[in-house]
Amino acid sequence: MKKRPAWIASLVAWPIVLLIAFPLLWMLITSVKPAAELFSTSPTLLPKAITFEHYVRVLTDTPFLQYFANSMILATSTTIVVISISVLGAYSLVRFAYPGRETLASLVLFTYLLPSVVLISPLYLMLVSIGLANTLASLVIAYTTFALPYALWLLRSFMAGIPQDLESAAMVDGASRMGAFVDVVLPQALPGIISTALFTFILAWNEYLYALVLVNSDEARPLTTGVMTMLISAFNIEWSLLMAASVLMSVPLIIIFAFFQRHLTSGFGAGGVKG
Amino acid sequence: MPDLALQRPGLSRERRDALLGLLLIAPTVLVLGAVIVYPLLSAIALSFQSVYTPTLEGHWVGLANYRELLGAGGFWAALLTTAIWTAGTLTLQILIGVAMALLLHQNILFRSLARSLVLFPYFLSTVVAVLVWRWLFNDLYGIVNHALMAAGVIDAPVNWLGAMPNAMLSIMVVGAWKFFPFVVIAVLARLQTIPEALYEAARIDGAGPISRFFDVTLPQLRDVLTIVILLRTVWDFKEFDLIYLMTGGGPVNGTRTLPLIVYQQAFGLNQMGMAAAYAVSMMLVMLVFMLAYLQRARKAAA
Amino acid sequence: MVQVVFEKVSKAYGDTVAIPGLDLVIESGEFVSLLGPSGCGKSTTLRMLAGLEQPSSGSIRIGDRDVVNLAPAARDIAMVFQSYALYPHMTVAENICYPLKKRGVAKADRAIKLAEVAALLQLEPLLARKPGQLSGGQQQRVALGRALVREPSVFLLDEPLSNLDASLRAHMRAELIELHRRLGKTMVYVTHDQLEAMTMSSRIAVMRAGELQQFAPPDEIYNRPANVFVAGFIGTPAMALADGSLADGGGHLVVHVGSLAVALPFAANGVRPDAVTVGIRPEDVLVGEGPWQAQVRLVEPTGYETIVALDADGLALTARVPGSNALRVGETVAFDLRRERIHLFDKSDGRRWEPAGR
Repeated sequence: MKKRPAWIASLVAWPIVLLIAFPLLWMLITSVKPAAELFSTSPTLLPKAITFEHYVRVLTDTPFLQYFANSMILATSTTIVVISISVLGAYSLVRFAYPGRETLASLVLFTYLLPSVVLISPLYLMLVSIGLANTLASLVIAYTTFALPYALWLLRSFMAGIPQDLESAAMVDGASRMGAFVDVVLPQALPGIISTALFTFILAWNEYLYALVLVNSDEARPLTTGVMTMLISAFNIEWSLLMAASVLMSVPLIIIFAFFQRHLTSGFGAGGVKG
Repeated sequence: MPDLALQRPGLSRERRDALLGLLLIAPTVLVLGAVIVYPLLSAIALSFQSVYTPTLEGHWVGLANYRELLGAGGFWAALLTTAIWTAGTLTLQILIGVAMALLLHQNILFRSLARSLVLFPYFLSTVVAVLVWRWLFNDLYGIVNHALMAAGVIDAPVNWLGAMPNAMLSIMVVGAWKFFPFVVIAVLARLQTIPEALYEAARIDGAGPISRFFDVTLPQLRDVLTIVILLRTVWDFKEFDLIYLMTGGGPVNGTRTLPLIVYQQAFGLNQMGMAAAYAVSMMLVMLVFMLAYLQRARKAAA
Repeated sequence: MVQVVFEKVSKAYGDTVAIPGLDLVIESGEFVSLLGPSGCGKSTTLRMLAGLEQPSSGSIRIGDRDVVNLAPAARDIAMVFQSYALYPHMTVAENICYPLKKRGVAKADRAIKLAEVAALLQLEPLLARKPGQLSGGQQQRVALGRALVREPSVFLLDEPLSNLDASLRAHMRAELIELHRRLGKTMVYVTHDQLEAMTMSSRIAVMRAGELQQFAPPDEIYNRPANVFVAGFIGTPAMALADGSLADGGGHLVVHVGSLAVALPFAANGVRPDAVTVGIRPEDVLVGEGPWQAQVRLVEPTGYETIVALDADGLALTARVPGSNALRVGETVAFDLRRERIHLFDKSDGRRWEPAGR
């Protein structure tokens, strides 16, 4: 069915869309404005001159690259750990029968809603006592508290959507139970696994509170707390510099968003709302 | 292969199957136990102690923390602040979210670009969102003040984050901007599953566009909105990053919600036991919404 | 030769008993249909045979092996699923070869087998496609091909035709009959469609609520239903069933049903049940002439024949009449019954009762 474009709706929608997108646009514009132009009494919408000096400064004069590397290691490790555990766990929750399974599923959903601030003090004590405080490892552990329930819940609904007949067929055709999992379930769940992995990565990339509490040295500091440190430590807040850092910090998200938007929105429905 | 190892005689296939299931869930149970269940129980235990954060030395004080917390009034003030923040930002999220979903459901020009632009704030780091908005709200050079003055709405720059009630309104707006895409995605997904035949039937029955919205669309959205509201209530209630980074709870304690108090108690005032008492009390308040969501979600999953 | 034997097989899910105790012997090379309404346990029975469900008790033998504790892979069976269960991420060729691959068949041999099966089912042009690109009928063929390729000793088919449209279903029925004839393998076929069961099977096992009602060749199931359930379940339009009683009419057996007293061509000697359920198939009601009168309630022309619902003084009957007729709703017609073909069931237990001399 071919639909005519809705002109009136377009005229209503686009100004709102632009208003919503404006803060991000302003971030971009600010990041390429020469410093002098920034503090003029009548700000210009479009910069008169474009400069990349702020980007150069972020990358060379600040520990930004160190933070970026930390965030990358942190988000990637969290994703790998969480996905490996939750793929097996979700499969077990969906396809096996044993006592306590339903209770466990409810518990997972419950922990998915649990506020981080409740866990933060005990986690801090625990990580200090096992000597992991101030390391990236401590953050990976802390991040599983929210990423694992989330990934389990998401993957559970993805896997529940795979027809059980496929595994039955594979087993009749000669596969063992785990063979059927590898040959049939994993390939079928792949879009869901990708979507869950992307979400986990984004969650870990954006996390702030645990990073604030558990890490206080540049060696292990991720971007979120790192960039805020740049704001706080600066005597005179350099907005252009911060906007350039913000843009750079968002680059991985923009890449994920540009290439995997379909995965993101499908995962969204599966995990958050449909239950 | 784990199930080869399990192929011992004497075990029925059903038992073997259950055992394999347990083996697969074991890492999950271990990790959840270590990083969630154990800390959660410790949090409850901590709330009956007085612990000085830097030395981590503590002793049992029984219900003293709770008595102090409920008596001093700090808890109730923060609870009220949290409720106001949650209600305000959630209302904005729902209104903008539903409206935007309805617009994006139309066949507007460049729809997929519009969708991407609208959804992106949700995936952005709160740190970035806060930096951008603090720059927008900057009292001297911020574009918001400039624009409003140019339009003649205000005569002098407004202090958006340093005065009440501006600060509360500002964080509500930023919260709405950051989180409304969640509502958009959920509602849009539901809109796409409403059968066209319902609208055709309504049209044949003589319903205009407005009554089609109220009689067909809205009833269909009721379930998804209930779940979205419950979920977002829980999430907004426990929001820390956005408020902490926008205002730090200020001015004075104007925007100090419960999660901020927990953090302040634990790492500002070094009262870890007191922090835990606040956290547990906060969780008890949230439990109503969490259980309501749990029940709905389990029902939907079944 | 491969016999399939169910011996006292039961299945319970928690407190719900799906199958209380099933005894069934399927001879080698037979085409047996498990037929019944949904929830009758026919699919559970098949899945237990496949090893996808574990019986709560009892034993299942394929050939001389007790398979209850064997994994599906070890049972030497192949199965076609109602949903086809084709692996969506594999091509048609990969789907068909998967069972061979899992059994460690060498690549060259797999190619030979694939070519054979593809030729048999006319799948050659489709081999490189994915299941999502195939029509329902083509998917059905691929599912069959995947079952055939291994040459298992028993084929299990779980409602394989129910997702096809009517004309394709008729075509595939014929193909399955032909396939069974050529392969001569034991096939167990689950269906709720009596037409499929009647046309293809050497024997039909009619099930209800987990219990076997009758296990017999199609014509016996139709002509000598073992109980009221089978009588009512088999045959379209359904057999008319009504309460009645038996009496001795001067040496002849007389059945009283409704206001009719029907003298049967059987002797009235010997014991007989007090109360019976009387069954009359539509083709055994002869409209036009006869000792009784009935009012026409409904006329349903189907082309070749017309189905007529009759009301004989409170007794509801169905009759088949030729397609061209002048029957009108509301008119009164005379009718007779094929008395030797009236079915009698003991009202106390629902079982078929045969008068002496039939």
